[in-house]
Amino acid sequence: MSIGDASSAARPRRPLFRKYFTALFIAVVVPLLANGASEAWFGYRDQKEMLSQRLRAEAGSAAGKIQGFLDEITGQLQWTVQLPWRDGSDERHRFDVLRLMRQLPAVVEITLVDGNGVERLQVSRANPDIVNSGTDRTNDPAVDGARSQRIWYGPVTLYSGSEPHMTVAVAGARGTYGVTVAVINLKLIWDVISAIHVGGSGDAFVLDRAGRLVAHPDISLVLRGEGDPAAVRLRELQQATRGETVEGRDAEGRAVIAATAPIRGPDWTAFVEEPASEAFTPLRAALWRTGFLLLAGAIFAAGLGYLLARRMTGPIRLLEKGAAEIGAGRFDQKIDISTGDELEGLAQRFNEMAVELALSQERSERIARLKRFLAPQVAELVEGSEQEALLDSHRAEVVAIFCDLRGFTSFSHAAKPEEMMGLVQEYYEALGTIITRYEATLTCFMGDGLMLLVNAPVPCPDPALRGVRMAMEMQAAVQPLMSGWRARGHAIGFGMGLAKGPAIVGRIGYEGRSDYTAIGNVVNLASRICGAAEDGQILMDAAVAAEIGDALPLVPLGSRMLRGLTEPVSVFSAGPADPNLTKLPAAKVLAVQRNTGSHKDHKSPDVFAR
Amino acid sequence: MVPSLPVDDRMTVSRRSVVAAALAALPARAFAQAAKVYRVGLVTVGAPDTTVLGPVMAKEFVKLGYIEGKNIEFERRAAQGKPDRLPGFIDDLVAKHVDVIVTASYPAAAAAKERAGNTPVVVTYSGDPVATGLAASLAHPGGNITGVSEIAAELSAKRLAMLKEAVPSVHAVAVLWNADDFGMTLRYQAAEVEAKRVGMLIVPLGVHAPDDFDTAFSEMTKKPPDAILMVTDVLTTLNRKRVIDFAAEHRLPAIYEYANLVHDGGLLSYGPDQRTIFERAAALTDRILKGAKPADLPLELPSRFELAVNLKTAKMLGLPIPEAILVRADDVVE
Repeated sequence: MSIGDASSAARPRRPLFRKYFTALFIAVVVPLLANGASEAWFGYRDQKEMLSQRLRAEAGSAAGKIQGFLDEITGQLQWTVQLPWRDGSDERHRFDVLRLMRQLPAVVEITLVDGNGVERLQVSRANPDIVNSGTDRTNDPAVDGARSQRIWYGPVTLYSGSEPHMTVAVAGARGTYGVTVAVINLKLIWDVISAIHVGGSGDAFVLDRAGRLVAHPDISLVLRGEGDPAAVRLRELQQATRGETVEGRDAEGRAVIAATAPIRGPDWTAFVEEPASEAFTPLRAALWRTGFLLLAGAIFAAGLGYLLARRMTGPIRLLEKGAAEIGAGRFDQKIDISTGDELEGLAQRFNEMAVELALSQERSERIARLKRFLAPQVAELVEGSEQEALLDSHRAEVVAIFCDLRGFTSFSHAAKPEEMMGLVQEYYEALGTIITRYEATLTCFMGDGLMLLVNAPVPCPDPALRGVRMAMEMQAAVQPLMSGWRARGHAIGFGMGLAKGPAIVGRIGYEGRSDYTAIGNVVNLASRICGAAEDGQILMDAAVAAEIGDALPLVPLGSRMLRGLTEPVSVFSAGPADPNLTKLPAAKVLAVQRNTGSHKDHKSPDVFAR
Repeated sequence: MVPSLPVDDRMTVSRRSVVAAALAALPARAFAQAAKVYRVGLVTVGAPDTTVLGPVMAKEFVKLGYIEGKNIEFERRAAQGKPDRLPGFIDDLVAKHVDVIVTASYPAAAAAKERAGNTPVVVTYSGDPVATGLAASLAHPGGNITGVSEIAAELSAKRLAMLKEAVPSVHAVAVLWNADDFGMTLRYQAAEVEAKRVGMLIVPLGVHAPDDFDTAFSEMTKKPPDAILMVTDVLTTLNRKRVIDFAAEHRLPAIYEYANLVHDGGLLSYGPDQRTIFERAAALTDRILKGAKPADLPLELPSRFELAVNLKTAKMLGLPIPEAILVRADDVVE
């Protein structure tokens, strides 16, 4: 498995990086958001409060200016009631009035009433003066009001249904000084009201106690009289206000914030209004600022989260990669992490583990190599100890064992490859377990044949007996298989030969490919004896037989000339001879071909004397 | 004693500051309107250099940021005392698609009302437009007409009273007025009513055309009155010089309506401040040009009045002007 495969196949469903990043991002952004939101909210409240205060102050100032306009008039009118009416004072009074009217363009008419409530003089801008009309004005509300309140403000009336006028009356300090009643053209408040500017484009206006528009920078609105929709809107604004600022619509229908202040004298209300869009500009700016800071904070948090998550997951990725390398068997790759934290420790553990694994793999490879010829338990025993010296070449007394199948070559011609390999597999499996159990050393496979050693490399007690017992078990295991095969028409047999004697044993081969083998006459002898064995026979030389003694029933078969040998060899057979086997027709047995190359030069069974 | 200084000072400052503010706002406004050139028709039954056609009116437009030839064009039409030319003027202006027609005099206003159709009309010097039927009411003039009204005809009575106060010996007063102008006729009638009330005698001298002045003069020569009250409209203004000269020649005290006639040699005048009339007419025109509908703009009454006295003329006439007149005079020519 390659590393690339590992990383792609093991791509995590929910990567750590994303988790760390999300967690870190949230950890920074949530407090930031909470802070930003609370700041925005409190900022909004403060700003609104400030706006409200500012507008109320502006309203107060506007009311003061309007009051000032009226106070100037009433203040001037006071001069006309500072002298008592006496004979001959009429002309003086008249001059006062005439002069006053020059000073006060807003006053359109002045009426002087003497201490007895009798009208003495009326001067108007539009009409001829009326001197001493003698009209009794005692019951005139203006005269009455001025007498009780010193200054009396009448209701706003519309001249010709359009131009607002108001009557004011002032009384002298003493009753004999009389009362001056003046009609004021309120249109002239325009000079005052149009000079009031609230914020950028806000303005001021005035409503009387009945909600009628008295003054407005747009004089046309004032002149439209009763029931004008714009004036009605302003009245609604007035009704919505209760000493506080109010949001509503002004005469033109703009959304405005308005504040009011009373004009005490005539009981009017001064309004200041500022378009909402404009009034909230600083508020919006503050919100924008907060929003920008939040955004900057979020970007910072994202960057920080990214960096931290990277620092966290980078080493983990390295570890993952290193683990994949180790998994792929590349133990020499070092994981290089120097974060100084637990991850560095973990990387160190990984590196150590890789070293251990490398060692262990080396060992297991060696064991695997040993297992090629040693039984697994022997291989484990031998490996990694001084006993490995056992594998070094030395001279030893060994029992060499050969076995092979008879008639296998003809079978291999006839059979299908799968059938044949299946058969061979069955055969070796049956033999393998027995060989392992007896801890015999397998030196080589030769197609259908095997060569085994007992007493090398690990010496064991009674090697001959052990070898023969194993051979008997092997025969016993293979024969039932062969009866099956024969039933299917294959003429196959299995013979074994053992010999005991000194040989030079040791490992042969080259790097990575080594075998264990024995070299000596005993090997050749065992091979020749095997070649002489009939199916089902276990033949052995005298040395083996001598070592077994009475431990097993042996049948001496006498001396035989074996092919390739110059001297006759005395041969013994283990176990009772199978009568069926001995009775096999020679021709049939002869027909069984040897097939292993190394045995090509061996004599056919016909060479054996029976 | 009336302490006059603070009040006077305040008013002056406030007016000055208003003008200053208007001038300060001028370049910005001029720039904002540079994109469109408005076209305003100016129509009078009188002379081409007086009332709305004159330089005073143009100055008011300048104050509002309108510069002739740059962002405003004026179509000036003066009937020179021939009211029958007015309908043609109005038709011409409507055909030229002017944005607003500003009229001076009742005949011009009446012609505009009749023929201007959808073109907004701003009226001036047309007497009392409600009384003459030009408009339904001050607050809601109706139709396409708005403008500056003049205070109701009773101002004639006030003038008569002032004349009497200035020259107490006056008994018979010749009233010169443009008999073709309904608004002016109403003023004459008001004078007549007042004369009857105070026991004075009115000599009615209605004129229709410039030529009629000769007839009026010869009548006054035949039977000299004690004084002249000239109902001042565009037609009589057109002939002001002749009237003033006649009064001087015959040593007749005369009262007019506007201060400019006193500056021209008239003895007395009492009436609305003309500058204010021009200012308001220009302001209303401005609002219409900016999209307001005339129906939403009430007719405005003059709110400032001026008493002008020419002491030179008084001296020439050998008339001592009483203190009661001088004390209320806003404009004294010495």
